[in-house]
Amino acid sequence: MDSADDPPTSTLAFLFQAEFASEEQQQKGFIDWEWLGENFTEDVVPAFLQHIYLCAVALAIALAISLPLGILAARYRGLYGPFTAITGFFYTIPSFAMFIFLLAIGFSVGVTPAIIALVLYSLLILIRNVVTGLDSVPPETKDAARGMGLTDRQILWRVELPLALPVIVAGMRIAVVTVIGIAVIASYIGGGGLGTLIFSGITRNFPTLYVTGAVLATLLAISADLLFVRTERLLSPWAHRTRGAR
Amino acid sequence: MIEFKGVSKTYPGMDTPVVRDLSFTIEDGEICVLVGPSGCGKTTSMRMINRLIEPTEGEILIDGQDNTSMSGTQLRRKIGYAIQQTGLFPHRTIADNIGTVPGLLGWDKARIASRADELLDLVGLAPDQYRDRYPAELSGGQQQRVGVARALAADPPVMLMDEPFGAVDPITRDRLQNEFLHIQEDIKKTIVFVTHDIDEGIKMGDKIAILKEGGILAQYDTPENILVKPASEFVQSFVGGDRVLKRLSLTRVGDVDLEPANGNGNALPRINAEWTLRDALSEIIGAGADRGLVVTDGESNGGSRGAITLDSIRKISHGAVVPRG
Repeated sequence: MDSADDPPTSTLAFLFQAEFASEEQQQKGFIDWEWLGENFTEDVVPAFLQHIYLCAVALAIALAISLPLGILAARYRGLYGPFTAITGFFYTIPSFAMFIFLLAIGFSVGVTPAIIALVLYSLLILIRNVVTGLDSVPPETKDAARGMGLTDRQILWRVELPLALPVIVAGMRIAVVTVIGIAVIASYIGGGGLGTLIFSGITRNFPTLYVTGAVLATLLAISADLLFVRTERLLSPWAHRTRGAR
Repeated sequence: MIEFKGVSKTYPGMDTPVVRDLSFTIEDGEICVLVGPSGCGKTTSMRMINRLIEPTEGEILIDGQDNTSMSGTQLRRKIGYAIQQTGLFPHRTIADNIGTVPGLLGWDKARIASRADELLDLVGLAPDQYRDRYPAELSGGQQQRVGVARALAADPPVMLMDEPFGAVDPITRDRLQNEFLHIQEDIKKTIVFVTHDIDEGIKMGDKIAILKEGGILAQYDTPENILVKPASEFVQSFVGGDRVLKRLSLTRVGDVDLEPANGNGNALPRINAEWTLRDALSEIIGAGADRGLVVTDGESNGGSRGAITLDSIRKISHGAVVPRG
């Protein structure tokens, strides 16, 4: 994640090179493999890492906010309506409008408004799934836990959250795919990431750039999704083993 | 010993109490069945013992000590708890489920593991085969066995059981009931057992507390006395029209004085000594005979212990007292 420290520099460096390259691209075919080979480590890899960084940080923050809010909303039903109304409002704002709005209220161009926007987009999905997950815990399981002398805190951490985990991870999967997509647009406000490859590729009519960016974003979304599926299976083996009644 | 002293419970916002001025004592080592129609407060009464519900009035003493003298969680760790839907933790293995309370009490891992195996044996599940499974991999009957094992884990002197055999088919339920009574002969726990099924109550209870709507104690006595001397019309109708037959189901054939099995026994129906008189009656009438040959489990024709006649069954149903086996 070193690239996160100096995104503007690396972005500029490769924009410069991209312009350079576009001069001779006509002769090299649709994808300029030579350019790709030469600039892969300096330009493509940092953009890719920056993209992962943006999404990972945004998701981590979103989860850190959604988990307590979701737990609160599951306990105090009155909060669920307002929470979903507010986060639902964020979710409906078009991403461009969201970025412009964040700049308008005083954020300067860079990683911060990008991450804030990505967090806001994830909240609705995550909070809703935390609440649904907690709701799916059978009441008799909670009753038995209480009847055996677990404290409220122990019931939450040892019973409710582990049982809600598959549903929460299902929310994470939707959120991560959404965030990886929207993060492409975040490059417009200086967030960096694969969006820089895509947009400068389009502006400069250099397909190698935007195809690389798009392919990597797609691969990233697919592998993040698979990673969550795997993690969930690892953490909740019980949910996938049923020999049925016998 | 569990003593209810003037216990009432009224939920906030309700005019009438669900449990009203309940006073009775449950002796050590006895199964006390709380039975009654729905809305009679039987589950509420049970849940006030381990303070899952707090009474509005009165007190509950466990071994002379007020159950509010320690925190609710501490209290609950000392009282076994088994419920109808088992409430097993789906994400924990069978061994982990059984080890829940020992874990809370800080037992070391080796002790918890050996206790879990011991209890699986006790409830008739091979530890090697079941300890690492998840609840969803077990049948309903097996899950209820685990539920009972889990309630017994920390060897609590008192156990609360809310229809612990309710969610299985009648044949499995009968077997689980018999096995549990057998276990109870050894462990001698003080058990509060909630059911809506009077037959289960008669079978399981040393004492039965019949509650009626509004949480009023209608009668508290032995099954025998409740069947012979119902205290009110409510009890009489709740117990049902087949009181005489129910009473016969309290006595096992093996506990009755038998007559010598003279003559040719080959034509007579075979009666297992473990059966109740009610089963024996049904078998004898079904076979069109007036007596049955009593045999002990495992023995065939040769090992007859004597004969039981319709006459002797009739006498017992009229009140000849037979001590409970």
